[in-house]
Amino acid sequence: MRRTLIALVTTVTGLIFLLSFKSQGAGPTNRPAALAPTTPGPTSTAAPNASASPSRPSSAPQTATGAVIQTKYGPVQVRVTMTGNRLTDVEAIQLPTGDRRDIQISNYSVPQLRAEALAAQSAHINVISGATYTSDGYAQSLQSALDQLNA
Amino acid sequence: MRINPRALLTLIGLGALLVVALWWNDTLVVHGFGDWLTNAGRITGLLAGYCIVVQLLLMARIPAIERGVGADRLARWHSFGGRYTISLVVAHTLLIIWGYAVTAHTNVVSQTGTLLTAYPDVMMATVALGLFLMIAAISARAARQRLSYETWYHLHFYTYLAVALAFSHQFATGADFATNLQARVLWGGLYAVVGAALLWFRFIVPLRQRVRHRMVVDNVVQEAPGVVSIVMRGQHLDELQPEPGQFFRWRFLTRSGWWQSHPYSLSAPPHPRLLRITVKDLGDHSGELQHIHKGTRVFAEGPYGAFTAHRRRRRKVLLLAGGIGITPLRTLLETLPGEPGDLTLVYRVNHADEIVFRHELDLLADQRGARVLYLIGPPGSDADPFLGSRLAAHVPGLRSYDVFLCGPPGFTAAATTALRAAKVPAGHIHSEQFAF
Repeated sequence: MRRTLIALVTTVTGLIFLLSFKSQGAGPTNRPAALAPTTPGPTSTAAPNASASPSRPSSAPQTATGAVIQTKYGPVQVRVTMTGNRLTDVEAIQLPTGDRRDIQISNYSVPQLRAEALAAQSAHINVISGATYTSDGYAQSLQSALDQLNA
Repeated sequence: MRINPRALLTLIGLGALLVVALWWNDTLVVHGFGDWLTNAGRITGLLAGYCIVVQLLLMARIPAIERGVGADRLARWHSFGGRYTISLVVAHTLLIIWGYAVTAHTNVVSQTGTLLTAYPDVMMATVALGLFLMIAAISARAARQRLSYETWYHLHFYTYLAVALAFSHQFATGADFATNLQARVLWGGLYAVVGAALLWFRFIVPLRQRVRHRMVVDNVVQEAPGVVSIVMRGQHLDELQPEPGQFFRWRFLTRSGWWQSHPYSLSAPPHPRLLRITVKDLGDHSGELQHIHKGTRVFAEGPYGAFTAHRRRRRKVLLLAGGIGITPLRTLLETLPGEPGDLTLVYRVNHADEIVFRHELDLLADQRGARVLYLIGPPGSDADPFLGSRLAAHVPGLRSYDVFLCGPPGFTAAATTALRAAKVPAGHIHSEQFAF
């Protein structure tokens, strides 16, 4: 019985050590590393939406579709709407839906990510806990969409 | 081939590190309380899955492990491993439910419902959890004393079902496997290899040995009140290459005993056509063996056991027997290499009529120039060799002896303490408990 207890205490200590090591990287939740100004690689599907003409005055809304970012759990892609210089909407058009957990994660993380993006008016958004990969892909796709409109 | 205990433990530890490395590799950052819980749940889950396969490996009766580690030590590891594994399984379940609930901002009850109904194979895994808990409960020391061996033995078979039920959710929902084909192949391969070893060594080998050797009970000899020697006759028994000090797991095909096998040491050096064991009536299946009929067919699984001459380190050897623990030592007394004066047997029993093989032992002592000492009396009496420094007085120069020790758990513990007090290095004390 004593040996079992020792083993369990060791395991718990090891777990805490491992997890705290992994969470150090999360400290400041802004993740500029993920936000390379231009995402090389899977930008093939990115195409500025032709529904708006850049020559029109700034009041008309413009939309752009971001690159498809392949995360470990599946693709993430967003479409943004800009009205004038303001980011007025972000819509997720592709999300990981491989299993029930992916859907659950998307359901709670995407509204938060959208709210963050609208508040920040940029792709400099926080990682949502428990949805690291989705957040990462979301920010990257968002950045690539914004790049198209700003170009 | 023998795998020594330390090497096996190192190997198991390295495997555990690899399992943790898999998680490490798949995890970007752990972010927030819910993520902490979920990741702790993932690691405990991975480790639990790994421990289960290690538990099966320890019980697969792989000859290199059985001979190197010894069945008694394996059984102790297995029971320790069982408690540890169950703790991991429970921790995994609770941490995942809690972690998912925290990240999804729901309560644990509704999250449990979601997990059960919407996540693939989690329902099966939950049934497995229930089975594991049932097995843990019946294997706990307190319950073991109240349950009959038969009940415990049959219920323990449900672990196979539990392992099978728990397996599929690992791939279906396990984040480390769902997206990693390589990990799935390795993990599946590990389970497949261990499963195949289990099937091979526990089921197919005994069947093949039965067909090849056709063992039957040849003779039953009363050695003492409640102690019989059973001699098995068979063909090509030399092919089994049993070593003195080893045992087989014997399955006697009688109406009430066919389903269970029990370990008994060979009580005489192996012979190409005959093998002998000696069984004391301990009030269980061993009681039925007292009246086993000649001609009864026998399955023998083995040979097993690490209690053999290969453990010897010194020229001088003390064989220390408690009660029916004499059986493997009787064989070693006859076969251990040595000059006259090298071998000493100390044989302690509670009453004079419990002594078995007296004639054989005296004869061997004479032939081999060995010293045989009978100590008759219960623990704590004048005959108890483990009180004070009596053992050293019985065996001058005890410190430079190798000691082979076999007897009931109390005897083994007392003997080990006395030997350590007499400055015999732990590495020179070789013991095997027959109560497992």
